Amino acid sequence: MEIVIDVILSVLGLYFGIGLLFGIYFFFKGAFKLDELIIESKWTVRLLLVPGAIGLWPILLLKIINKLRT
Amino acid sequence: MGVNYQPVLWNKNKKKYDKWIAISMFIYLISFIGITFFTNSQTSIETLVIRSFGTLALALLHIILVIGPLTRLNTRLLPLLYNRRHLGVSMFIAALVHGGFSIFQFHSLGNVNPIYALFTSNMEYDSLANFPFQVLGFLALIILFLMAATSHDFWLKNLSPKVWKRLHMMVYIAYALILLHVFLGAFQQQPSISSISILIIGFFIIATLHIITAIKESRIDKKKTSIIEEGWEYVCDLQEIPNDRAKIFVVSKERIAVFKYNNKLSAISNVCKHQGGPLGEGKVVDGCVTCPWHGYQYLPHNGQSPPPFTEKIATYRLKKIDNQIFVLPEALAEGTEVEPVTF
Ligand code: HEM
Ligand code: FES
Repeated sequence: MEIVIDVILSVLGLYFGIGLLFGIYFFFKGAFKLDELIIESKWTVRLLLVPGAIGLWPILLLKIINKLRT
Repeated sequence: MGVNYQPVLWNKNKKKYDKWIAISMFIYLISFIGITFFTNSQTSIETLVIRSFGTLALALLHIILVIGPLTRLNTRLLPLLYNRRHLGVSMFIAALVHGGFSIFQFHSLGNVNPIYALFTSNMEYDSLANFPFQVLGFLALIILFLMAATSHDFWLKNLSPKVWKRLHMMVYIAYALILLHVFLGAFQQQPSISSISILIIGFFIIATLHIITAIKESRIDKKKTSIIEEGWEYVCDLQEIPNDRAKIFVVSKERIAVFKYNNKLSAISNVCKHQGGPLGEGKVVDGCVTCPWHGYQYLPHNGQSPPPFTEKIATYRLKKIDNQIFVLPEALAEGTEVEPVTF
């Protein structure tokens, strides 16, 4: 059981750790790449979006990559 | 619906609702702490904080879950729906205080990581009576976090409404986890008949309301229009639609709204571009169909949002013979202008 818990918590920690890094990138750059409306919006909007970016980084990363390709 | 994003969409009414949410939460916490203090003065401050914020979050969750079906049953309650998002974020904050304080109180004293301690301090995962109920609360809190963090309109647009809706449907998973968390937790602390009966009653109210609404919705879907020549379908008589309002019908499996305004009739898709709100339950305000959920607007004769906005929905052709209204079931391209039927 402890091994299972170890694995689950390590994965969770890794996920949110990467999320944190992605959140910083998202605040400074990523948000602009995803949605042009961000350009005209205040920086507080981007700050408000950071927790969501930390939690959902794989989806956003894929969307940004797809957008850059086209 | 916009050219840029605001941090929080506030207007006069929303500010008023938010003030009421804050005041009610404050009164609840003060009364909870006051009552416990007088009836059981042994209780420590930490326990008081944990219990008051935990039950506050639970109460808010119940309110959030009944708002949806209630507003579908009675449109006068719609203003509640406008503010549900802020209620959700408030609930998450209350739950975070409760969970954070519990972790701090029970799991942060040793030299292991508190989250690790939360999962391992009680290893009776195979027991029902002694199950580590805190783990269930933790998982629910992660779901609530994801929902609160994605409540901004930005997420609705950029995750796509489908993904967003799926994510926010996880509130029911969170609800189930929290029910178990409280049940198992209550049994391990001091089982109290009153809190358990409140949980059971709450569950029955939520379940019943959802079932009633589902039955009502399926009736609308079944309300078949009768077919007449050349593909035009009869929908209703002129006087059945109130002024500046609509009636909702299903043609070719799509829901449409037929609006009556200024002695004119127009038909548009019933589905709002924002979050799929039921446009046919909204009113015509200043010449625009106004979505009852968050107020997106569309011109009834072409399904377009007034400039500078750019949303477009499908329109439908209508005709009137005597007092009977007929619709051509094929949806026109989004934003197509249709000359309104006059009477
Ligand atoms: C990290 C997450 C969580 C932890 C560690 C946690 C921990 C606890 C603990 C230790 C208790 C027992 C308190 C006592 O009776 O002294 C408790 C009870 C409770 N929890 Fe949580 N919880 C978490 C998340 C949640 C969430 C998300 C909710 C609901 C929205 C919630 C609602 C409640 C309620 C209603 C009680 C019963 C309070 C009472 O006994 O009066 N908890 N929780
Ligand atoms: S669903 Fe939000 S305005 Fe229509």
